[in-house]
Amino acid sequence: MEDDKRQEFRTALRQTKNLPTLPGVVAKLTKMADDPDTTTEQMGKVISQDYILAAKLLKLVNSAFYGFPQRISSISSAIILLGFNVVKSLIISASIFEVMEDQDVELWQHSLGCAVVCNVIATRLGVKDPEEVSTAGLIHDIGKVAIKMELPNEYEMINRLVRDRKMTMRAAEMEVLGLDHAEAGGWLAKGWNLPKKLIEPVACHHDPRKASAEQLNSSIIHFSDIVIRGLGYGHAADNKVPMLSKRAWELLNLSAADIDEILAQVDEKLWDVKGFTLEIEAEDSAQAGG
Amino acid sequence: MQQILTLQAKEGMSLAKDVLTAEGRVLCGKGTVLTPTLIERFHKMDIVQVTVEGHPISSPGEKSLQEELQEIEERFSEVNKVPPLVYLKKRIMKKLVESRGQ
Repeated sequence: MEDDKRQEFRTALRQTKNLPTLPGVVAKLTKMADDPDTTTEQMGKVISQDYILAAKLLKLVNSAFYGFPQRISSISSAIILLGFNVVKSLIISASIFEVMEDQDVELWQHSLGCAVVCNVIATRLGVKDPEEVSTAGLIHDIGKVAIKMELPNEYEMINRLVRDRKMTMRAAEMEVLGLDHAEAGGWLAKGWNLPKKLIEPVACHHDPRKASAEQLNSSIIHFSDIVIRGLGYGHAADNKVPMLSKRAWELLNLSAADIDEILAQVDEKLWDVKGFTLEIEAEDSAQAGG
Repeated sequence: MQQILTLQAKEGMSLAKDVLTAEGRVLCGKGTVLTPTLIERFHKMDIVQVTVEGHPISSPGEKSLQEELQEIEERFSEVNKVPPLVYLKKRIMKKLVESRGQ
């Protein structure tokens, strides 16, 4: 592919003119987070001013994939429990998925499912902030949304390759754009000033070797993507289980018994998430109708 | 297990998951066998769906076990030489077969 063509795609994806801008509240919160005198109550108040956003956030936090035994009823306890970085990326996911849900319910389900598996594996491996890993799982395919919104013609071509030539989405993206959705997602996450802990796993979920600091978390997303596709939960354009990265497998160091238990726990949690998705759908159609 | 509408619930089915109230309290525990009184109570409390053991309700357009197994095979078709993924595939298939059993 010619270099200037590739450059053009990069520029389009980096500028992301058609993607929803982040709610102003995110910038405000980032500023507050840098100020050591800010209390979680103050931050909670700022979020709660946008009551639709606050409601969505609480719903997400209380959904099965975080799996807290008690209901979290206020934004400030969400910040205490999940940490500011997670709450911030949840606000971002809530706004981006609003677009995604309209456009692609199947990809949204795939992402939710992936977040569930991430949480189960991260907890099992004793990773320090499992919630951060599930958030990365939730937004791992955000680059697909960016490609769809910013480069609709190329997106059509990619889908045609997937359909007619049975290519994987990633191979088709490489052929058409010379880059894949993981890379595009990484730029997007960076542009939104997400912490490195979230950017790397998004950018490297197909090849965790590329990650410099977050190889383990990238490997968790990588394998969770495999598991959720294997289960056929949701749909991420092509339905093939992607190739397992050797490095990821070494890092995860999972035994057969681990896999069995992971599958059992995921199964349990997915039932709840399924209810959550149905609930959203029902609400959306009620809103559309009324 | 299967998630069904309370409207589809029948006497004798057994709960595979706790039924919770809107506030998140357990109304009826996992393993409870449904009775007409219980089902009536769910209706009154606006509980729309419950999860029961086995796969008692078959909906039109639902894929057969054979079709679903075939789909799993297809999804794994490009990674059939990777031992951990072959194991994963077998376990997913086994779970599916079990979940379809009564």
